[in-house]
Amino acid sequence: MQLKPKARLPVARSPNASVARRRLMAASCALLSAGAARSQSSRLEDTVNELLKDWSVDSALAYYHENGRIQAIEPVVDVSRIYADGSALNFNVTFDALSGASPNGALTSHTAQTFASPSGTSLTGPHTYTTAPGQLPVDPKYHDQRLAVGGNWTVPITRTDQLSIGGKLSDEHDFFSATVNASIAHDFNDKNTTLSFGVSNEYDRLSPIGGAPVPGSDYTLFEKTGGKTKDGVAGLLGVTQVMTRNWLTEFNISVDRFTGYLNDPYKITSIIDSAGGTTGYVYESRPDQRVRNSAYWENRIAWSSQLSTALSLRYMSDDWSVRSDTAQLHLRWVWADRDRYIEPTIRWYRQTEANFYTPFISGAETSTTGYQSSDSRLGPFHALTYGVKFAKKLAGPGASGGSEISVRAEYYQQTYNVRVPVPPGLQGLDLYPGLDAILLQVGWRF
Amino acid sequence: MNLGRLSFLCCITGAAIVSGCGSIGVKPWQRDVLAREEMQLDSDPLDKAIDDHMYFSKEASSGGRSYAGGGCGCN
Repeated sequence: MQLKPKARLPVARSPNASVARRRLMAASCALLSAGAARSQSSRLEDTVNELLKDWSVDSALAYYHENGRIQAIEPVVDVSRIYADGSALNFNVTFDALSGASPNGALTSHTAQTFASPSGTSLTGPHTYTTAPGQLPVDPKYHDQRLAVGGNWTVPITRTDQLSIGGKLSDEHDFFSATVNASIAHDFNDKNTTLSFGVSNEYDRLSPIGGAPVPGSDYTLFEKTGGKTKDGVAGLLGVTQVMTRNWLTEFNISVDRFTGYLNDPYKITSIIDSAGGTTGYVYESRPDQRVRNSAYWENRIAWSSQLSTALSLRYMSDDWSVRSDTAQLHLRWVWADRDRYIEPTIRWYRQTEANFYTPFISGAETSTTGYQSSDSRLGPFHALTYGVKFAKKLAGPGASGGSEISVRAEYYQQTYNVRVPVPPGLQGLDLYPGLDAILLQVGWRF
Repeated sequence: MNLGRLSFLCCITGAAIVSGCGSIGVKPWQRDVLAREEMQLDSDPLDKAIDDHMYFSKEASSGGRSYAGGGCGCN
């Protein structure tokens, strides 16, 4: 205890020396700590660079918002590596968090309507919600989260052939999906032409909240069973052709077939009397099989060193009588020594309705097929998307030694073309409100 | 546009490829423009994945460029 004062005495006699010594110590500490921090930071940087030197990373964070309905946040990370032998490995992770209000399929009415939430078993009590007159019936407490992981491995098997296999798992609290796929590609004609063929198999398990409704059953009886499944197989045949030094084209034909429980377990259809009054609801009932065919054609053309376009056309038809046309144009303008680009895009989409689509069931009519759905996604509509993306290249870690940051915005608008006669009692209501949505995204890849 | 028309256009493209027309295709040393990022068919994969997810959940169609399955309970 007495040593400390004695040891301090000489220093205490000289205030200037004390200050100088403290400053010297502080400086030494600062130098040492800075050196240590630099060393630690350098080690961390070296470790990160060592880990990333062979990998490319692509990441994005997307925010999606509909007018008065659903909103979602979706972060995505994709990492890939190309090996010296030409093989490539890829992994990706996606997370979705959705919340908001989801249309339940019932028709807007001049009177208030009360519905049971998915877990409810009665139209009274706490597990219900009421839609005000003139409003589109929506489940106001919709929320869900999804985690999906996927991987893909591509390996050259000869100088002109390569094999690719992949898989994906996706999990939500009421849905699980597992997909495997494999494809083979063959180059010929001086690698100007590539033919590819792929197959995919998907298994889905549905575990709807409250159970899976019996298709077409009375909504008030709550006839529900346990989980359901559906399976899908798909095949895709494609050709890619280098047309000229500035023009690349791709054409794909694909077929897919899904079987099993293809209903949306949360969708109902209103039963309307001749005056337009709602007399009840039934759960939707879709066929248990669907076969889709599609043709897809894409052309990429470089018009100059700065301007290029990507134009794609798609036609799809299925055995539910849905026909759709899609056209999308991307226009990319690069400048600043190719360090920046801006890419406006426009997409036009049109679909006809499924043969069992009906916005409501008239009390007097019966469906000839036994199938019905008022799900607007199976109805007739057209949609437009306007978007723009801006990207800037920077220095960065990873295999490329550079990085790119980007921001992207899109506006999506659906307009319905339902031509079903409206009963007098429903006049003046907006029965088929369209959909307006925005998508905002930031991205970083290196 | 329907499947017939689209197939017709592609048949023309295919016929030109099969006929070995001298003006189609490039030599290995002429791939400078094709090597640009914007000329890759799989450029911006995350943008496409995010867009596909949005369209899959709001429309009756999906796929075309790749497999049609969504792996999502949103449709």
